[in-house]
Amino acid sequence: MSLGDQLRILRARRGGITPAEIEAALPELPKGLYRQAEQRYRSIGDDKSIQMLAEYFGVPFENLRWRLDWPRKALSRAFVHAIDTRHPITLHLSNGEIVTGEVRWWDMGAAEITTETGGVVVQRHAVERWEPRAPEADE
Amino acid sequence: MSENLWVLREQKRLSVATLASRAGLPIGAIMEYESGTRSIDPRHLSRLARALYVEESEIRLRSDPRPAGSQLQKEEPPKEPAPTSAMDSSSPASNTRAPGMLGGRQRIARPPRVVSEPRPPAPARPSQIAHLEDLIQRLGKDRAAFEAELGRPLEELNRLEASTLLVKLQTELRSAPTSDRHRAYLPEAVDQYELHYLTAAKDLGSVLDFTLFDGSRVDGQVAGFGPYNITVRLADGSELTLNKLAIATYRRRPGTQIPDAREQAQ
Repeated sequence: MSLGDQLRILRARRGGITPAEIEAALPELPKGLYRQAEQRYRSIGDDKSIQMLAEYFGVPFENLRWRLDWPRKALSRAFVHAIDTRHPITLHLSNGEIVTGEVRWWDMGAAEITTETGGVVVQRHAVERWEPRAPEADE
Repeated sequence: MSENLWVLREQKRLSVATLASRAGLPIGAIMEYESGTRSIDPRHLSRLARALYVEESEIRLRSDPRPAGSQLQKEEPPKEPAPTSAMDSSSPASNTRAPGMLGGRQRIARPPRVVSEPRPPAPARPSQIAHLEDLIQRLGKDRAAFEAELGRPLEELNRLEASTLLVKLQTELRSAPTSDRHRAYLPEAVDQYELHYLTAAKDLGSVLDFTLFDGSRVDGQVAGFGPYNITVRLADGSELTLNKLAIATYRRRPGTQIPDAREQAQ
């Protein structure tokens, strides 16, 4: 799961606190970084900012930091790669489920994977990691 | 050796207005100085010298009147009609102006402007040609056939024709039925697939099995949905709205067919 998706979930679990309230609570956070980290599809954020956010949400630093290497854009690239090469993709979901199959379609919020037992629509924010990772040369 | 102000100004090919603007002085003052009506105020001398790029000593403090036939001639200010009163019974001077005079200045007839031949339109820019080639390709057209229909090669179009053609092809591309442009790494551009999937599931009354992050499951028909939630009609007829952030996956019941969202989107 990307850092942005995780931040969105953490924010929802906090009762829907707004990005503006988070920025107000963390004045040392670079202006606009939180919104960008949540909204952008590339990796946004640095260790110092992530440390501040981890302390604010009360989660371990590493729980957020590793997500920088798995941005939404990389997942999009993996979906495209899977469709182009007609190879199955394996998605490791945050609820422990593993979904493997061909990508039928994907978009901003979800993707349908055709598994052996039928089609499964996976919410993108549920995807922690995936295999294979598409080459990054043309990102 | 000092020189009349108007001589210096005309040597520099400046108008009175331009000199006044450069020196930061009123036009009226310049005209009075040039006509010799009054001497140049010492405070204005340095300004005029700077504006004319001359030394202050080069400017004659009181200019000689301009000879007849020179470009600008300051007319004697028209005398206002004297107020008629018991103290002054003199007749008012005429304030009519000579033909060709306006506001105290004589208009000089300018030589007729030479009207140049209209320039031929500029040839199309290389970037326009490249853009046209790209659009022709994206529209699935053959360039040779396109040029044959056009009647000439793209390189022979002028800038305006190329621009008009670009607008036409762009409009055609936007309205083309095959223009579902899948921007590979910008999923913001293709956010309609889940919408079509859920729309089909709702229309068909399909039962979907939702798996939530907390491990619980919810089965039901899609009663409605938005960007952030899905409302499910449960077996007992009640409705439950699920926040999408709480949903991990959902799948259709075995045996239920939902058309391909990509086909519906096209």
